[in-house]
Amino acid sequence: MATEVVLPMLGITVEKGKIVEWVKKEGDSVEKGETIFVVEVEKATTEVESPAGGILAKILVPEGVEVPVLTVVGIITEPGEKFSEEDVPQAESPSSVDSVDSVTMVTPQENAPMATGPDGIIKAVPAARRMAKEHGIHLQDISGTGPDGLIFAGDVEAMIAGTARPSDVRASTLARRLAEKERIPLEQVAGTGVRDRIMRQDVQAFLKESETTGTPLGTVIPMSTVRKVIARKMSESAFSAPHIYFFTDTCLDPLLEFRSVVLPGLEKRFDLRLSINDFIIKAVALNILDFPMLNAQIKGEDIHIMSEVNVGLAVAMPEGLIVPAIKNADRSGLVDIARQRIDLVQRARQGKLTLEEMERGTFTISSLAQYDITHFTAILNPPQSGILSIGKTDEKLVMEKGQVKVKRIAQIGLSVDHRIIDGAMAADFLQNLKWKLERPSITYLTV
Amino acid sequence: MREITYAQALNEALKECMKEDERVVLLGEDIGRYGGIFQVTAGLLDEFGPKRVMDTPISEAAFVGGCVGAALTGMRPVVEIMFIDFTTVCMDMIVNQMAKMHYMFGGRGRVPMVLRVNIGAGRGAAAQHSQSFHSWFMHIPGLLVVTPSTPYDAKGLMIEAIKNDNPVIFVEHKKLYAEKGPVPEESYSIPFGKADVKREGKDLTIVATHAMVLRSLAIAEEASKKGIDVEIVDPRTLTPLDRETIFSSVKKTGRLLVADEGHKTCGVAAEISAMVAEEMIYFLKAPILRVCSPDTPVPFSPPLEQAYIPDEKDLLLAVQRLMEYA
Amino acid sequence: MNIEKNKLRELYTTMLRIRLFEERIVDLYARGLVPGLAHLYLGEEAVATGICAVLRPDDYITSTHRGHGHVIAKGANLKNMMAELFGKKTGYCKGKGGSMHIADMEIGILGANGIAGAGLPIATGAGMSAKWRGTDQVTVCFFGDDASNNGTFHESLNLASLHKLPVVFVCENNLYGISVSQEMHQPIKDIAIRATGYDMPGVVVDGNNVIAVYEEAMKAVKRARAKEGPTLIECKTYRWRGHHEGDPNQGRRYRTQEEIEAWKKKDPIKQLAKKLIEERILAKKAVAALEKEVTQEIDQAVAFANESEFPKVEEMYEDVYIREGETE
Repeated sequence: MATEVVLPMLGITVEKGKIVEWVKKEGDSVEKGETIFVVEVEKATTEVESPAGGILAKILVPEGVEVPVLTVVGIITEPGEKFSEEDVPQAESPSSVDSVDSVTMVTPQENAPMATGPDGIIKAVPAARRMAKEHGIHLQDISGTGPDGLIFAGDVEAMIAGTARPSDVRASTLARRLAEKERIPLEQVAGTGVRDRIMRQDVQAFLKESETTGTPLGTVIPMSTVRKVIARKMSESAFSAPHIYFFTDTCLDPLLEFRSVVLPGLEKRFDLRLSINDFIIKAVALNILDFPMLNAQIKGEDIHIMSEVNVGLAVAMPEGLIVPAIKNADRSGLVDIARQRIDLVQRARQGKLTLEEMERGTFTISSLAQYDITHFTAILNPPQSGILSIGKTDEKLVMEKGQVKVKRIAQIGLSVDHRIIDGAMAADFLQNLKWKLERPSITYLTV
Repeated sequence: MREITYAQALNEALKECMKEDERVVLLGEDIGRYGGIFQVTAGLLDEFGPKRVMDTPISEAAFVGGCVGAALTGMRPVVEIMFIDFTTVCMDMIVNQMAKMHYMFGGRGRVPMVLRVNIGAGRGAAAQHSQSFHSWFMHIPGLLVVTPSTPYDAKGLMIEAIKNDNPVIFVEHKKLYAEKGPVPEESYSIPFGKADVKREGKDLTIVATHAMVLRSLAIAEEASKKGIDVEIVDPRTLTPLDRETIFSSVKKTGRLLVADEGHKTCGVAAEISAMVAEEMIYFLKAPILRVCSPDTPVPFSPPLEQAYIPDEKDLLLAVQRLMEYA
Repeated sequence: MNIEKNKLRELYTTMLRIRLFEERIVDLYARGLVPGLAHLYLGEEAVATGICAVLRPDDYITSTHRGHGHVIAKGANLKNMMAELFGKKTGYCKGKGGSMHIADMEIGILGANGIAGAGLPIATGAGMSAKWRGTDQVTVCFFGDDASNNGTFHESLNLASLHKLPVVFVCENNLYGISVSQEMHQPIKDIAIRATGYDMPGVVVDGNNVIAVYEEAMKAVKRARAKEGPTLIECKTYRWRGHHEGDPNQGRRYRTQEEIEAWKKKDPIKQLAKKLIEERILAKKAVAALEKEVTQEIDQAVAFANESEFPKVEEMYEDVYIREGETE
């Protein structure tokens, strides 16, 4: 059997070597362990011993040629063995020692909300970026209250909840907390911190002074972030959805009666007061089940009839209108609706609503019943397609079967998106709603 | 519950383990007759005799390496090195032998030994007797690193360390030896890899080791008067590290301060900061801050040493800096 | 001392096994089948053989980077050894240790060690352990001439003597610490005299005479088992090849050909063969047959190693720590 003579491993760092002398020549006989060639590695020479005894039949790598270690450099055959070219091993491709390539930097692509504003990079803390992305808020819509306009997590939270975080007012967390607690508008507090930042002691000092008065004539108030958003959404709605308006007089006597009858018992049992709005919300929700198109939204070229009936109630706040929605109003009892309403309105006033609570609405009710307003036209809350406006309830003289009666009447208005809701359907909806409100004992059969 | 010192708690743990298992033996310089320079092994020579409580010559390599050999062959030794600073003279036995045998031998051979050391400056012991480079051991795979901050933790973790089959570096703290705390009389062990939330809070997280835990608790009261609610997480073991508890705390508060007495550069705090930045970046409302010892040897002169040690002042400043990020 | 014939044959076989194994490694290493480093025991066979022949399976040894001879003499399985050298998962250490970390607790091999002098404290500890556990196990610690200069040597001999530990310290003085000759690394010629400084017996023995080694080992082990304390045995020996495979020209950068030839003439195996054949303890034919048998054993080991698989990448993360409930 022929034995391969290799250029041996010569230590862990040596990779190549050059045979400087074949001590044995082709055809010579050689003993195992006898020096067969001399190899040069890194300026030193070393003798290599033969791995077997026999005849050095073939020299494959001559003197002076540098080859990698483990290259077959010669063949030794047993005495009497015939050597054929087949014994020569095929030149193998360079040893498959995987060299470690330079480390490729993997930059995570997804989930990195990159905010590039019109004037370059926007500085925001990581949590702020994430929250902004999750809620679809553009960082450029937020004015950061940190140093150099750094957007804090709190800035985004405030944006989401729609509370007043007046732009350009820089304040520490503790200052904000105190201001919120004491209901002080931060923009009116003079700051003494780094670059006029409002610190907690500044708010304390402000508290000590006399109360603030309203904004006088001639004041220029820069739009707060919330106001900007409201302004933008209103324009969007008014100029893209063609509104048509409908009004009807609704007699609220039966409902008011109904309410006064059930109120004491419910109040005792559930510790809450149902308001007229609760009844209206429920009636509207039930009505929507009969007229699902009023619960629809246009998305691109499709009309999506939303699967949940979440009725929003407009709440007036100093910064602007906020519309939290009561979830699944069609399937909720009056007490449930009342509970949700109370909780949402309270948190709306504290600025503690979540974005989901505001965005889930599918139909809105706007009531100015506490004002001396007979009726008014409301602008749709995009992307919704219907909004109900409620005016003041007044005692009116009404003709009924030829007789003059005194009834408590409220004017209810309906605005719809004429792109998807025709006049007939709108009229039908409103008419049916009026019918429901005037027959509470039937409408509210399941409380 | 009765209160005893950290040193007494350790003493109890050693005593209980030695009573229960005769394979547990103690070695170290001056641990027998003298009772250990911090009195952790006081009374144990009298109770268990010189065969099991061995005063060694100044031959760290021999007796630490000896413990490796003894552990390999059926014993469960607890060896003391007087100050962490002296581990340098037997580093080979710790890093190349103790830590690696189980792995190098492909799982054949266990080294169930505990190497007790202490860290912490503040006693004027100067540069060669006051270091806190326990992060070196956190860096070596194969070693478990335990860092108790209270007497309760000390006893439970020591009992676990002796029962655990892995080699353990048990890092005590010079200034904690005399601190008292409630400790149950019975035997109990605390599992490794379970951090302890020493104080719950919602505004910021302090991950702290050893004396930094106590210092953090001290400033937490002051901070709450200013309306800042601090959460303090004590990892208790650096290897294995309870990442989950740290992560969920950071998720909750969004602000992280890491406090450890090692040097700032390449210390325990650096590792925890990097780990949190890597996994929790989207929950950070503020940069991660570290409160550590400066990158200098420990100075001798008292005012210098005082300035050297990271203390309540440093913690409060860092807390305030963090709270500037709303 | 009269050594019975079976023992002599055993001594011969063991030396042969070491010799042929190491010679095979020369070839395998040259062909790249044994990765990393290889430090071969060729020429020193009598030391490991003579010492370990006295030991029981439950006695301990600590070995060195040049440990193949020690572990073979202590009874290690050639197949698992070869597989470990190849880096295969069927190796003694699942391929995770390599030539310098072969260990088998079951036959008392507390590991070969890549750190010079590291075995001394570990062996001392095994001695302490036997004392604590009340057994009469003995620990043999192999180390080299240059390692006797390391702090661990002095600390360990001191501690072992102080506590009369059952340890036999065996210094394999092959006259070089890598390339630095003994006269350049220590002021003394006989390392055995250092024993006096530690109040224990120190003996010099011809490391190429396996019977002499065996006889000294007997005395030292007997002394240790009788709890009389440690002994330092210095074996004068020589390695035929370079410090590691790849050390140019069999170490002729720092050694002369004449010196190598002179020591090769003292071949311990030839010495014993001559004696066995002269005293008719072994026939010439038997010697040849033995060689063939051992060669076959090695062939099988190589085949086993070749057929075995490398460990999977995931195994890199195993055995760093012992998980709760894991048994050995």
